[in-house]
Parts: sequence; C-alpha cells; structure tokens
Amino acid sequence: MWVASLIFFGALFYWPLAKILSIGLNGNWLAEIATNKIVAITWFTIWQAVLSAVLSLLFGIVGGYVLYHRFFPGQKFIRALITVPFMLPTIVVAIGFTAFRELPFVTNLLQANSGVPIIICANVFMNYSLAVRIIGGVWQSLDLDLEEAAELDGAGRLRTFISVTFPQLVHAIASAASLIFLYCAANFGLVLVLGGTSVKSLETQIYISVTQNLELSKAAGLVLLQTMLTIIAFVWAHRFAKSGFAFFGQATLTRRRHIDRRDLPAVVITGFFIVILICLPLITIIWRAFMVEKGFGLQNFANLAGFGARDLLSISVGQAAMNTLRNGVITTAISMTIGIMTSFLISRPTKLGNPSWLQRFMDLISQMPVGISSVVLGFGYLVSFGGGLFPLRSSWLVVPIAQSLLTIPLVIRILYPAITAIDHQLRESAQTESATPSQIWWLIELPIIRNVLVMASGYCAIIAVGEFGAANFLAYGDQATLPTVLYQLISRSGAQNYGMAMAASTLLITAAAVIMCLISALENRKPIA
Amino acid sequence: MKILPKVLIPLSGILTIGLVVTAVNLSGGTTTKEVVLVTHSSFVMSKELIADFDQTSGYTLKLLKAGDTGSLTNRLILTKQSPIGDAVFGIDNTFASFATENEIIDGALVPTNFGDVCFNYDKNWFTERKLTPPTSILELVLPKYKSLTVLQNPNTSSTGLSFLAATVDMLGESGWESYWRSLKNNGVKVTNGWEAAYFTDFSGSSGKGAYPIVLSYASSPANEVRSDGQSQTASIMDGCFRQTEYAGVLKNANNPKGAQAIVSYLLGKKFQASFPEAMYMYPIVAGTPIPASWSKFTQVAARTYGDTLDLNANRKIWLAKWSAIFE
Repeated sequence: MWVASLIFFGALFYWPLAKILSIGLNGNWLAEIATNKIVAITWFTIWQAVLSAVLSLLFGIVGGYVLYHRFFPGQKFIRALITVPFMLPTIVVAIGFTAFRELPFVTNLLQANSGVPIIICANVFMNYSLAVRIIGGVWQSLDLDLEEAAELDGAGRLRTFISVTFPQLVHAIASAASLIFLYCAANFGLVLVLGGTSVKSLETQIYISVTQNLELSKAAGLVLLQTMLTIIAFVWAHRFAKSGFAFFGQATLTRRRHIDRRDLPAVVITGFFIVILICLPLITIIWRAFMVEKGFGLQNFANLAGFGARDLLSISVGQAAMNTLRNGVITTAISMTIGIMTSFLISRPTKLGNPSWLQRFMDLISQMPVGISSVVLGFGYLVSFGGGLFPLRSSWLVVPIAQSLLTIPLVIRILYPAITAIDHQLRESAQTESATPSQIWWLIELPIIRNVLVMASGYCAIIAVGEFGAANFLAYGDQATLPTVLYQLISRSGAQNYGMAMAASTLLITAAAVIMCLISALENRKPIA
Repeated sequence: MKILPKVLIPLSGILTIGLVVTAVNLSGGTTTKEVVLVTHSSFVMSKELIADFDQTSGYTLKLLKAGDTGSLTNRLILTKQSPIGDAVFGIDNTFASFATENEIIDGALVPTNFGDVCFNYDKNWFTERKLTPPTSILELVLPKYKSLTVLQNPNTSSTGLSFLAATVDMLGESGWESYWRSLKNNGVKVTNGWEAAYFTDFSGSSGKGAYPIVLSYASSPANEVRSDGQSQTASIMDGCFRQTEYAGVLKNANNPKGAQAIVSYLLGKKFQASFPEAMYMYPIVAGTPIPASWSKFTQVAARTYGDTLDLNANRKIWLAKWSAIFE
C-alpha cells in the first residue's frame, strides 16, 4: 500500500512538476520573469487577493454576527442562500459578473470597463460565505455570559465586540483570511473572463504564455512564482486551519439571543450586502437567461442542445454536462480511494507512539499538491504525458486524474483528523478481542467516520464539477467539460452564445441552490460529525 | 489472510484505473473509420457537407475547434507527439512558417482559401449622421471618427494580427507604434476574437452594436445585403492584408489516410464553393463559382500590405510592442 501510494503521487504529481522545472531550468526563465511586466502582474495578483480578503472579512464579521450569533426566523434560509456562490463553478461566477457589470448603475459605480473592480466584487461574492461561516461558526459557540457581563458594566455593543468578542475570534478571522487569500490568488477563471486584454494575474499569464505565445520557459518561471505564493499562503492558512474546514454541519451548541433593535446597523449592512452583491448578480444571470431577441422566452435553453452560433462548440452543452458528471464520479472515486488509503497509512499508531518517518514523509508528499494550482497542474500534464511511455494526455481520464490530485489533499485533511479522533480504547479493546487490523478498520473505524466520508466525497464532486484551470489545458473536442464549454461561449460571445452561457449558468445556479437547501435541511436534522 | 484484504482493495482500485487507461488508449485512438479535423474557432462546415464527406469517403468526420489561429497552432505544437486530431484547417500565412518550422505537418501545408482583411463600415449609420465614411486606415485616427472603430487583439486573433502587419508595412518600423497610440487615444475598442467584434459590437451586422467601423473582410458586405437589394456595409480598401489559410495532414496522425481524404475534400469543388458564404473568404481553386452578390458588393484590394513581411521572425517583437501600448 505504501508503494502504491508513493507511485501514484510520484508518477502523477511529482513527475509533471519535475518536467516543468526542467523546462524552466533549460530555458532562461529567470531573465524572462525578471521584467517590470511580471513584477506588475505579481503585485496585482497579491493586492487584489488581499483586498478581496479584507472586504470579505469586513462584511463577513458583520454577517457572522447577524446570521450566527443572533437568532431570527428564516436565518437558515439566508445562510443557505449566501453559500450558493461559493458552490458555483468560478466560470459561472465570471459569466454572471459579465452580465452584472452591464447593469447601468454598476457600470457607473465601478467604472466596470477597467476590469479590476469587478474582479474584486466577484471574489467577494464567492468568498463572503466562507468568511461568514468560519467566523460565525466560532461566534455562535462563544459563551454569552462574558458578553452580557460586559454589557452590564455599561459597555456598548461595539465596545463589547472590540474588547471581549474580537480577541476570541482572531483565530477564526485569520483562518478565513488566509483561505480567502489562497482562493483569490489562484482564481484563474474570473481574471481570464473579466480581466479582458489588460488585467492579468500570474495564473492567466501562465495560461497565455503557454497557449498564445508558446513561451514555455517563461511559463515555468511563472509557475515557480505562483507556487511560492500559494505555499506561503497555505503554510499560513495551515497554522489556523483547525476551524477552516467545518464548512458544513455546524450545530448550534449554545443559546443565542434574538435579534433586537440595537442590531439594526449590522442588519442593514448585511441585508444591503446580500441584496446587492449576492442576490442581484444571481438574479441578473437568470433574467438574462430568459431574455431573447423580442422579450422573454425559453430560446436560450432550447439552444443548449445545439453547438452555438456558427457551430462554435464541438459538442453540445448537454454532452459537456455528461462529460463533467462522468469526470466528477471518477475524480471522486480516485481521490476517495487514494485519500482513504493515505489517511489510513499516516494515521496507524506506531509502537513508539510518534508517527514514523515514513508516515511524516507520506503526509508531506500528499499535502504538496495543495500548493499547486490547477492551471499549473494542467500545464504539467500537457508537457509530461504527451507521448512516449505513458500517453495519458490523449485519454479522457487525464482530466479526472488531474482533478483528483487537486482534491486528494483536501480529502486527507478532512479524514485524517476524524480518524485520529476515534477513541483509541475502542481500537485496543477490539485488539484484545483478537480482531485483525483490517477488521478493526473495516468494522469499527470506517463506520465511525462514515459521515466524514460523505462530506469529503461531496467536496470532491463539487470541486471536480467546477474545475476549470486544468480542464482548459486538457479537455477539448468531444471531451470538453461544462466549464470549458461555458468559457468558449462567453469568450466568443455573439447574442446567441451569450444567451446560452446565461441559460447554462442558470441551470447550475439552480442545481447549487437545491443542493444547498438539501444540506441545510440535513444540518437541521442531525449534525455531521 | 491477515494483511491480504488490506492490501488487495486499494491495489485493485489502482489496477482498475490502470486497466481502464490502457483499454481507453487501445480502443479510443485506433478506430480508422473516424477522422478528426482540428480547426480554428471560425471554421464553418454545413451538416450537408459533413454528411457528403462521410458518404463519399467512407470515414466519419469529427470537428475539433481549438481556439484562434495562434492558439490552434500552439496547441498542435504542444501535442505533436500524440496529436489531438488527424488533419488541420485554418493555419494562415501569419503562422504557416511557424507551424512548418515546428514540424507538425506531414508533407506540406496546402492553401485552401484567401481573403483581404479590411475595415468595413455601416453605410446607413454614416448616411443618417451625414458623415463621410473613412477611405483609408490612416483616417481612423481623426477626431471625427472618435470611438467608432472596433478591431481585434492581434495576440488572440488572426485578423487582428493581419491588420497589425499591414500597419507595420504601411507606416514602417518608425511609424506604426505612434499610429496605434493615436488609434488608442481615438477610442478604438479591442475584442479578443473576430466574432465578438463583428457579430456583437458592429452596428452593421446582426448584433446591431454601437460601433459603425469594424475590422473584417473585404467580402463581408456581400453577406449584409438587405431586402432592398443593397448591402448595408462597404469596405475601406486602403490598408488591407491578404490572408491565406492552409490545411494539412498532421504528423503522427492516427488516421493519415483519412486525414488525406479530408484535406482533399477541402480542396474539392463542393467545399471550395462553400467558402464565400460560410467563411467570407475566396476559394483558392480557380474556376470555383462565386455568388453573384460577391461580384456586386465585394472587391479584391488593388494593393495589400504586410503579407510579404517576415511574420514569423517579427511576430513576437510586434506583439510585445503592441501589448505595451494597449495593456
């Protein structure tokens, strides 16, 4: 099992990475990235991510207060609603904001032609719920007594927040900040679609260097920059990560006070934010989807069965959706298999009590892909598996395999704590009953972490369905996925293709909303471990 | 028995994956009935023509659109060891020598069609405003034509690159950059592809956009003939680039015979005759019938610019300079 895992990561992750490195080192990569233009692009990548994270947090703290610390009827519904954007594929968000930026008041307010403000809005749109959930999740479990004591002493709510509550939330805020920064720094689809010709991030510049300019050594140099950035952000995030992945299933453990009149400013800010920046973009997409040449109708949805204006697509949107579903299933299967196997290996108790060096090595090996963006992985696969011994690129499996490498670290980070949290007395008593290690695993440990497995599979599926960076390099022709097809439609937008992109996005938003409602209904019934 | 199941289950998982990979590789690529033609995104082949090819050749044609001409060429270079298709259509004279240099073509690229990349204008728009339309690309920088022109990014579009080459030829290495700066200051809009500019932003075509001047083809006006028998648009014939597109069999193709068959078909009578209406280009084969509207509404440029320059050697430098102005 050790060997199998190591071969898997070695062949499918470290080999493509080594290939990129060798391309970079063979060329004159240092000179090619040490230009003013690249410095500007790197700087933009960082500051837009920082600004997006700060804005998400500011609104997220207020939102966490209203939606988690206080109580009011209908709260569950609003929590589910704000989570929809986070579940959407980035390309759908990008498409949504191309429509949103055309609303007259948005155009005037944001000078939306320049791209940058709209990219930041879209980032905040996607990550707001992450901030609210992580901060709110901690906030709702805070003891009310302390806060009430402060109020009795005459402290106002804002003062109570600053001196009593905030110190207890710092950890959650830092955790949310680093995660949001990580997502925004690697947000390929948004910048590619909304940035136009002039706004570029490291990710889009890698893509452009490869596909438009065929400057592979420059791209390899950019990969190093991008990877350094994500690894720094990830290491930072990892320090706070404990609260980071309780995204679904936070049970309300402590009593909460009903919302009252003095909460008005917070309610107004949150309400205003949700209406303008969450609901309005979603409504704009749906509205545009039904808009046809004369009035409203279903023509855009009917067009999804075809190939777009002037037969732009090689397959219909429906067929692409089938590819995406198939890839999602395979990705989930692969990442769960490898993820369970690796978590099992690194969680086995050793005789010495501490993890063995092999376990620590394995842990490191399997977590490394987190620092690699999907664009980088797609580029690596394109240059590594083109031919020779292992012509994986020409098979459709290349996409689910690449996607599974992006999800495996996540699976392990969800499973590993759950496995180690199992009471070791259970294991020991089973051992004294002479159960074999495999019996203990299959009959005792696995059933205990069943809920966590379901959650991890859900994550894999969501990520696989929306994954765009790697697929854009690797999936074309009859293997195109839903996000790549949507990108083709929005980047070659005649009226018909534009309408089709809106219609397909509407369907995906509906799907995400339905899934969110189901999850929140499940949350009501039983908290997931 | 003690360790067996533990090892077996994940291993069998990996084994299955491996088996599926091999199975797909063996079955996927080698069906000799199927032939994949890789094209740029603006390629159009009617269902009737596809069916006709399938019937007469005995192959099943699959089309694979791989982006603009530049992306298409680059993608083929990146995947040349196991190409994504059998034949290619749409590499033009701005990229042809680059493709040959990188050895992606088995044999030679054969020219299939040509057209003059010129600006078009919306005649109605100018008549309504009693404004004289421009007659040369040099006039596009005049204040009276401010914010009226939409053209394509030369980084992502072959028509855009064609026009860039034409300006370099016409204005010389010393003059073209300042021309582009004036264009930018005069409010030109830049789109990524030809479709977006022509079908969305241009006022004289189906999108009824806000820009009455668009970078397109000298032949486009023939496709904008209205019920009164007149074309709504006309071309600016000064400052055109003669674009030629090519087809060829890809090296290492799975189905080289099928690839040869589709390349021959593209040069055959029926397909050649479809060029004017489907892609607004002239067929390369002499004697192919041209629609009547074409002789009435289109003309071939008396003099073209840029097509004789060494595009392959200069493309990167020009594009970097252009990007420095626009990005």
